[in-house]
Amino acid sequence: MSELDLRPVDAIVQRLGRGSDAAIPILQAIQSHYRYVPREAMERVCALTEITPATISGVATFYTQFRHRPVGQHIIHICHGTACHVKGSELIQDAFQRRLGIGPEGDTDAEGRFTIEKVACLGCCTLAPVVQIDGTTYGHVTPTSVANVLDDFLHHGQEPRTLSGGTRKISDGELGEIRIGLGSCCVAQGSGKVHQAIQQVLQESGAPVVVKRVGCVGMCHQTPLVELIAPTGSSTLFSKVQADDAAEIVLRHFKPKGVLRRARYAASRWLDRLWSDEIADPSIRHGIDTRDPPVCAFLGPQRHLATEHCGALDPTDLDEYLRHEGFAALRRSIERGGPDWIIEQIRASGLRGRGGAGFPSGLKWAKVRAADGEEKYVICNGDEGDPGAFMDRMILESFPYRVIEGMTIAALAVGAHEGLFYIRAEYPLAVKRIGEALEQCRRRGILGEQILGSDFGFEIAVKEGAGAFVCGEETAMLASLEGRRGMPRLRPPYPAESGLWGKPTLINNVETYALVPWILRHGAAEFARLGTPTSSGTKVFALAGKVRRGGLIEVPMGVTVRQIVEEIGGGVSSPSRLETVPIFAAGSRENGTVPFSPQPQRRFKAVQIGGPSGGCVPAELADTPIDFEALAQVGAIMGSGGLVVLDDADCMVDIARYFLRFTQDHSCGKCTLCRIGTRRMLDIFDRICEGHGKPRDLDDLEMLAQTVRAGSICGLGRTAPNPVLSTLKYFRHEYEAHLAGRCPAGRCKALIHYRVTDDCIGCTLCAQHCPAEAIALTPYVKHAIDQEKCTRCDTCRQVCPQGAIVIE
Amino acid sequence: MPKLTIDQRDVEVPEGATILDAARKLGIEIPTLCHRDGCEPPTSCLVCMVRVGGDHRLVPSCATAAVDGMEVESESEAVHQVRRTALELLLSDHLGDCLAPCYFACPAEMDIPTMLRQIAAGEMRGAIATIKRDIALPAVLGRVCPAPCEKICRRGHLDGPVSICLLKRLAADVDLASAEPYVPTCLPESGKRAAIIGGGPSGLAAAYYLRQYGHACTLFDENRQLGGRLRSEPQQDSLPAAVLDAEIATILRLGIEVRAGVRIELGQLAELQDRFDAVLWACGRTAKEQAIAAGLPVSQRGLQVDPRTYRMGATVGVASRSGTLVPDMPSRSGTPVPDRLGAELEALPFALFAAGNAIRGKSLVVRSVADGKEVALAIHQYLSGQPITGWPRPFSTKIGRMTHGELLQLAAIGPLSYQERADASSLSLRERARVRESDEDISSSSDTPHAPRPTPQTGIALGFSLAEGRQQAARCLHCDCRGLWTCKLREHAIKYHANPRRYEARRRVFQVDARHAEVIYEPGKCIDCGLCIQIAAAAGEPLGLTFVGRGFDVRVSAPFDRSVAEALSRAATACVAACPTAALAYKDCSALVPRFRKHPCASTD
Repeated sequence: MSELDLRPVDAIVQRLGRGSDAAIPILQAIQSHYRYVPREAMERVCALTEITPATISGVATFYTQFRHRPVGQHIIHICHGTACHVKGSELIQDAFQRRLGIGPEGDTDAEGRFTIEKVACLGCCTLAPVVQIDGTTYGHVTPTSVANVLDDFLHHGQEPRTLSGGTRKISDGELGEIRIGLGSCCVAQGSGKVHQAIQQVLQESGAPVVVKRVGCVGMCHQTPLVELIAPTGSSTLFSKVQADDAAEIVLRHFKPKGVLRRARYAASRWLDRLWSDEIADPSIRHGIDTRDPPVCAFLGPQRHLATEHCGALDPTDLDEYLRHEGFAALRRSIERGGPDWIIEQIRASGLRGRGGAGFPSGLKWAKVRAADGEEKYVICNGDEGDPGAFMDRMILESFPYRVIEGMTIAALAVGAHEGLFYIRAEYPLAVKRIGEALEQCRRRGILGEQILGSDFGFEIAVKEGAGAFVCGEETAMLASLEGRRGMPRLRPPYPAESGLWGKPTLINNVETYALVPWILRHGAAEFARLGTPTSSGTKVFALAGKVRRGGLIEVPMGVTVRQIVEEIGGGVSSPSRLETVPIFAAGSRENGTVPFSPQPQRRFKAVQIGGPSGGCVPAELADTPIDFEALAQVGAIMGSGGLVVLDDADCMVDIARYFLRFTQDHSCGKCTLCRIGTRRMLDIFDRICEGHGKPRDLDDLEMLAQTVRAGSICGLGRTAPNPVLSTLKYFRHEYEAHLAGRCPAGRCKALIHYRVTDDCIGCTLCAQHCPAEAIALTPYVKHAIDQEKCTRCDTCRQVCPQGAIVIE
Repeated sequence: MPKLTIDQRDVEVPEGATILDAARKLGIEIPTLCHRDGCEPPTSCLVCMVRVGGDHRLVPSCATAAVDGMEVESESEAVHQVRRTALELLLSDHLGDCLAPCYFACPAEMDIPTMLRQIAAGEMRGAIATIKRDIALPAVLGRVCPAPCEKICRRGHLDGPVSICLLKRLAADVDLASAEPYVPTCLPESGKRAAIIGGGPSGLAAAYYLRQYGHACTLFDENRQLGGRLRSEPQQDSLPAAVLDAEIATILRLGIEVRAGVRIELGQLAELQDRFDAVLWACGRTAKEQAIAAGLPVSQRGLQVDPRTYRMGATVGVASRSGTLVPDMPSRSGTPVPDRLGAELEALPFALFAAGNAIRGKSLVVRSVADGKEVALAIHQYLSGQPITGWPRPFSTKIGRMTHGELLQLAAIGPLSYQERADASSLSLRERARVRESDEDISSSSDTPHAPRPTPQTGIALGFSLAEGRQQAARCLHCDCRGLWTCKLREHAIKYHANPRRYEARRRVFQVDARHAEVIYEPGKCIDCGLCIQIAAAAGEPLGLTFVGRGFDVRVSAPFDRSVAEALSRAATACVAACPTAALAYKDCSALVPRFRKHPCASTD
């Protein structure tokens, strides 16, 4: 290998500083330059800075973001979040590996083009299963569409999909407004392309319309969303809009100026269609007509506090935020309130931390305020890592000013002058938006020396995480901010007494801060009126899984699980099918097409609340209200708010194993019970799911779970057994079935096999799609599956137009 | 000054003291692994857990400040259970052998590695003492034993096993030829008397150890000469009578009454009752017919006894009920004696034991010698009024089978590298097969202890010279742990009855970094406490140590894959001293082993 050019390292160090707290940013910069972290570069850093070899190599191997080997040209991130898991991300992973010829041990194809990486959660749960190749996100991927995805990426993928240019403004003669969702989900589903197409159409047609980029609407199941506001003020919502559809939508509602233009436009569109030779979009296409009537049901029971004005605000437009009472709460706090008033309001509102544990915020704020010391910090914990939770990402992306306002009020209350955002590295858009918003605030005197003309000064910086779920734990996050391995430490002392650099530190979650301005504007009593006596206000949930309408929802505390699943989510979804046309259609059938045979209706089985720290609430207990205490009582926790709906095709043993594998994978490795205990629990799960379980295993599992819960050092370890304990409590019969060699839901590969029923018409689709060549091509004759070769990838069952392949 | 209670006992400690400090003040012994005075508490091992305030949560006592009014629970079963779980989890991921495989292969469970290191160091007196703790007849066994220890010797997969059996013979021969052969110290006379029926290998061995426990022994044998089957079975070629006589003499020297030419039948037991407090039936395979004649219970092979205590009758199964013993040794299994006969035996004023071929019918001589040692302890326990538990099963973690690559790693530690030992290895099997005329180091006695003997594997073999023996003994790979006497994990595991095989787990790959001149690092034994990392950093090591990786895969290592030799240029000694296991250990740790070595079975003294 040729000598590595280390001059960029010198420049990076020059830029980022020589202190030990710069370790993570320096490593991030090195990786973005070299695409991995070469050892020579780390040694160079040690030579140039205070950072020791022990520190840098400890840090570089702790965070999963850092790669230690050169990688392929493109990186395929396969999301293994909860929603993706229940929708088959394992199968997608297998399919990519097969397609690229990568063995189980490797990660990069022979040509060095693609490297596959598993990621915990891309936060696009409603598009599950999701795959991201470099910057391009593909949703609803199936094992059979993997080839198309790769093809599409190689032909189109490198085109930027983010939006360029600001809001187009037309001062006079406005006819209306077009709002385009700009949350990551929308962008992932192609809202960038839609935006470009609309801009182009408007330019060509000359229709005087304002195009506005807005934050997340929450209806992620319908992305990309386009909302048209007519001059009269009435609005029409279009869902699953594609670039091709944009012109039609726009032209149907906003007539081009002048007849000539209209004619010319129509002609050019016709020619375009004639000559264009686009490859079909790999993700499932949705016609413009799929306007969803139950939109009202979805939005109906919700109350938007943290997500106030969702779908109407341009995330980066400070003026617009100000017009919507933005920073009014801060102004009031500075001018008439003062620290004691703020803390009293927060206390009286009953606000509890939205990060998971639900500690009363007022109490925490008062503690930090009372703590000795001139220097104090306010930190916003944006290290949302739960698979299946993406509400913090959405709030940061869509309402950056609101979070900044909440933090600034908190700083005023506790007497801090420095603030920090800690945002996980997987959320680049959130980092960018917050950065832009902070810059705007500084420019307008909302941050800095004399905020809003007062003598109160406050400044906020942004720090990026580096891929460690455990850094969501506050003491681990502090270690990470100080440039160390993100290992939690024993509390007490709590950060309120001894936090960042040993100073009193207030740490709250994104959503908590986002609620603060609303509370101060409307009054504590108004907030406390919402929800239940012990859990006031609202909670944002990421609703995903086997539900018709997934997305981000904000509901008052106290609504029941059933209301969320059935009223907002529209109940359990029917299984997704591939819309594939068979080649060998049965001759006797009309027009050579095969009638659609519906799959059996699925039954709501449970919701998993709180992600890897949470538990399952079975359907029988669906009337449990959303409330910190009520959820804890049934064995779940509020957590950060991931809410995954499971149906009878989901194996509860598999779900528990999935979460346990997640926490086990993210254990920092410090204390015995978590490091080895969760591993041994996982060993037992692996045995059970492979059909080698022993009768003693369930007792062992329960004993280990109880011990790990009682004795681990930090929250990650103490809550890691929750999914296990709650499924053991409500679904013990499923565990016992596994011990007897059966997986009732048909998920655990080692315990199932696929069989072709007599409904088979011999269309050969299954044989054509089988990646393992386990089905012989026998046209017009009933097919058979070679059990030896079958990898149980489920492809045949998905492509079968007759539903003639069953799992046993 | 905070006042708190631990297990309902009041204690007052200075401000800033931990619960651990408070417990120590009360004399309550809370186990710790990762705690070290002067270091930041890593709160890693979690064996020092206590329960505070009746909460279901537990906290590490080493890092939790004592607070006024605190109610701490330490010595309860629930807290012990958590400590035990933490220990069992650590053990499930602890790659190492406390005791070497040869220890378990030897029916007499002899401490072979220690003997080998003593021979290699030329400490022949120490070597014979080590041998004779477990084997009463080493010169005999050095000639007739088929050496199961050598079959399992890890070196056997590289360049042939260490010639353990011949080295034992060398040590025994050197001892027999010396002016004052080794005589063990006996405890003061207990006033109790034991009768041993049969002067074969098990009877002789039992007498040897019973004397050491301080009990008077009378050895009955129907023949004029002691030795039993050692004289009758066809092994005269390899076992000269002179060697047997000499070795029996070393046993009788402890003061054992011999009644040769006296035949005692099982039916005559009542006659012994006035004169003895315990009787050991060790008359070999003929016992079975006598037992049938006397109406006593028999198994397929011989007399029926409790497999752990060798006791006939009522106490069957006592040891197996204690729950702490690992069940093994199917050869000793027998169905429990029916209650009726048990009651009859119980009626005797003394306990009746049986060992050797009397219970086995046919077995290796080493098995009989081992039986003699083990039954002696059981009889001693009976005579001194202790619970009869039988021979203890030593605590040990086990690596199991090693791959060739792992063996090469192991071999690379030794005083000589594997390559350099090519010469020495030629001494093994080939050397053993060579017939030698004389031996310059050992003045041969008149009864020619070095006569060639046939062994199943090698045909005619001869013993080593002292120089050859030392070189041969140095081939030992030191499979047993260097931390046997210092490892806190082992100490606590024994105390808390932690079972190292409680959790099934796929083991890690054995690795060792032996590039440092004095210290070796075995990551498989590391419990990730990070004390060495702290100590190296405090000592200002330029490279130092760090945690590499995360979660279950986290490992202490030198940065950038460098060696421990580079990482610990000045803090090596301090790090070895702090290491709670022997992950970091001195290559040559003989200085740490007690001068008068404890038996590996001795867990805590």
